[in-house]
Amino acid sequence: MKEERKKMSKQEQLQNLLGKLRAALPELREIIVASADGLPIAQLGESEIATRLAAMAATAHGLGKRIATTTHLGDLMEIVVRGNQAYFIAYAIGDKGILGLTTPAGSNLGLVRLEAQEYAKRLAELL
Amino acid sequence: MEPLKVIVTGPVGAGKSTLIRTLSETEVVDTDAAATEAIGKATTTVALDHGTLHLDGHLLHLFGTPGQERFDFMWEILSQGALGILLLVRADRPDKLPAARNILDFVRSRAPVPYVVGVTHLDRPKVWRPEEVALFFGTPLEQVVGFDPRDPAEAARPLARLLELIGT
Repeated sequence: MKEERKKMSKQEQLQNLLGKLRAALPELREIIVASADGLPIAQLGESEIATRLAAMAATAHGLGKRIATTTHLGDLMEIVVRGNQAYFIAYAIGDKGILGLTTPAGSNLGLVRLEAQEYAKRLAELL
Repeated sequence: MEPLKVIVTGPVGAGKSTLIRTLSETEVVDTDAAATEAIGKATTTVALDHGTLHLDGHLLHLFGTPGQERFDFMWEILSQGALGILLLVRADRPDKLPAARNILDFVRSRAPVPYVVGVTHLDRPKVWRPEEVALFFGTPLEQVVGFDPRDPAEAARPLARLLELIGT
């Protein structure tokens, strides 16, 4: 397993991880990994919106961090944008980037949160 | 006192965040993230900067935008309700002037309000003087102000000019 991993490029490893996340949460639509300054690093889903979503994830995350410090919320843990049809949820990948997801309304958010945080940790090791 | 909303915009590295940090009388809200591109500095604004100051009897709310085009949705959001635009450009980076013009056109199409072009980094070797920048934008020279956004005495000058143009 380890050797197999070595042979894979970083991009392949990222795609591999996102694929596993999608397998764990099949209802996920977009899955993106963005740098903290809003550049797309990896994605699963519609490529046309991934670039835009990466920039927006960085904006939402940057602003969320500021709201968290200004209002003494402690460290920012997640950003949730709730539409009447779906959610956009973003998690920090350590200080290296952001994992952004869209998932339909009615998704099990507790499960999404558990899995996403776990994968954010794995992504942090990879980036 | 009715607060005046001013949008501070321009390409990356022009000095937007620096200007707001220099001038603000209230704690600045900034949203810096580590830059992963070679933009000549370690961090970049991803959402907005916000600061306030009193100038010539007015309370100004300064909203600084991100500089990169991928954040153009923030240019649009921050343009709403702006009464004046301060566009910052680097005197030593004439290659970025087309990007600056693009931002100015974008913001003015949403907020058709008076604007001033602030020219920064004039202390570098090989710069475009404010007169040349004015020619590039086709802007009257009185709307173009060369200044140092790090200097508290100078940083308010383009905003004072903007207030005159807004005619408050």
